[in-house]
Amino acid sequence: MKAIIIGSGLGGLLSAASLSNSGYEVEVFERLPINGGRFTNIPYHGFQLSTGALHMIPHGPTGPLANLLEEIGADVEIVRIKPSAVIRIPRKKGDTNYSFGHKDILFEDFKTQFSLINRLKLIFYAISTRKNQPNEGSFADWCTKHIDQDWTNRIADSFFGWALSLRAADVPVEEGFEIIEKLYRHGGSGVPMGGCKGVIDALIDVVVRNGGSIHTSSEVTKILSDNGKATGVLVDDMEHKADLIISDIGHPFTAMMLDDDTAKTEIDRYSNIAKKLKPSAGVKICLTSDKPLIGHGGVLLTPYARRVNGINEVTNIDPSLAPPGKHLTMAHQCVEWKNIDHLEEEIDLGLKDLEEIFSGKEYEVLLVQSYSDGWPVNRSASGTDLKNITPIKGLYVVGDGAKGKGGIEVEGVALGVKDALQDILK
Amino acid sequence: MKVNDNCVGCGQCATFCKLDAIVVNAKAKMSEKCIECGICIAYCPVKAIEG
Ligand SMILES: Cc1cc2nc3c(=O)[nH]c(=O)nc-3n(C[C@H](O)[C@H](O)[C@H](O)COP(=O)(O)OP(=O)(O)OC[C@H]3O[C@@H](n4cnc5c(N)ncnc54)[C@H](O)[C@@H]3O)c2cc1C
Repeated sequence: MKAIIIGSGLGGLLSAASLSNSGYEVEVFERLPINGGRFTNIPYHGFQLSTGALHMIPHGPTGPLANLLEEIGADVEIVRIKPSAVIRIPRKKGDTNYSFGHKDILFEDFKTQFSLINRLKLIFYAISTRKNQPNEGSFADWCTKHIDQDWTNRIADSFFGWALSLRAADVPVEEGFEIIEKLYRHGGSGVPMGGCKGVIDALIDVVVRNGGSIHTSSEVTKILSDNGKATGVLVDDMEHKADLIISDIGHPFTAMMLDDDTAKTEIDRYSNIAKKLKPSAGVKICLTSDKPLIGHGGVLLTPYARRVNGINEVTNIDPSLAPPGKHLTMAHQCVEWKNIDHLEEEIDLGLKDLEEIFSGKEYEVLLVQSYSDGWPVNRSASGTDLKNITPIKGLYVVGDGAKGKGGIEVEGVALGVKDALQDILK
Repeated sequence: MKVNDNCVGCGQCATFCKLDAIVVNAKAKMSEKCIECGICIAYCPVKAIEG
């Protein structure tokens, strides 16, 4: 059996490695000259910046991605961070920004910022919502209705901005609670040694070891099918035949490559649904400094900043991600859909935030990277993902446009790949 | 090099430019250092750079 994978992003390579382990002959086609999509390193002035991700795996060495990597036999070391997250709050109670100083509290202590009555409510809801997950409206709606306090909105926006690049108002409440449940179950984040590329290289090793091949600078321009069943792809006008096709480029782009008269109605319906998916947008600001700006490898959540949701300093875990004596610090901010056309202002606000968050510290901005539309943070906003199947038999979509339920970022990619494989290999 | 509307500002082109000739702030822009070598075209994930 032959499988062709379109795109060598994380979802594509996880699928390729798994299928090659299961005896498939695997061939991967990647449009760019490099592998890894939005999850690999880019060397820049001696730093290991990244094509997308912040070198972080949301549930570290015990989450769905780590489990799948182990199952596959990919040799990656993922180091769990302690503390996993810290929250920066203004020094003086009542202040609403960092201009008069700040203090950091452990993530677990976010409860201390609630009023007494809300703390009691929180204990009640922590238990009751695990039994009966709320399922209507957004996470923000739920908060306003149940624990109405400025702090609730701030910490929810900061957390979901960092984790999903979404405002709490754009996270379906069901997905929000599923994510919290997974945090209880799998724990907090970790850093892959060598950065994102550590994961990508390990997966490529498995594919190659199993005799599979990966072609870079090779764009797939059409998905071929016959009578509603996938038969191959077109690359540089050459036909490549396969029994199974996995697309790592999201549903909308996959739909655009289909052309099958016998399944026209289904394809049209599929295209229309796919077109409605909204990718999440964000801005990443990469900083460097001689002295650490954060001093630990955990996330620094910044609920009192204007735009920045959270920041990490991965060189506290893996110093090789920067030249000797230097640190690499990356700030992430969600960009609301209505602000995508005003990106420069969004970036300015983020840079201002950083001046206040790190006031009195010396640092340099290495690069500002923004992501939306065709190269987003996630191809579909969390909680709105379509499943892996398509109207064409033997054609599946994986990646962050087809994440599994409650899976933050690459954890969702791993869960989605597992779902697809289960269907394929059953 | 011309940058079209597909550009999202991810900066991938700037990191692969050997002459540091691309400035990115929400969108990529070639500076006067650009010698039109075209290397960036291949690295753009959204086909935003045209020769
Ligand atoms: C700023 C930012 C920060 C992030 N931070 C984190 C983080 O810290 N932790 C985390 O878990 N996640 C993070 N993410 C999300 C994570 O990076 C993505 O969810 C993940 O990399 C998506 O992988 P994928 O396989 O879905 O797709 P992609 O990485 O997009 O891979 C798809 C591949 O297909 C190729 N391709 C496209 N069209 C074609 C074609 N026609 N033919 C052949 N190949 C084609 C593309 O070039 C690409 O290489 C972040 C994302 C961004 C943008």
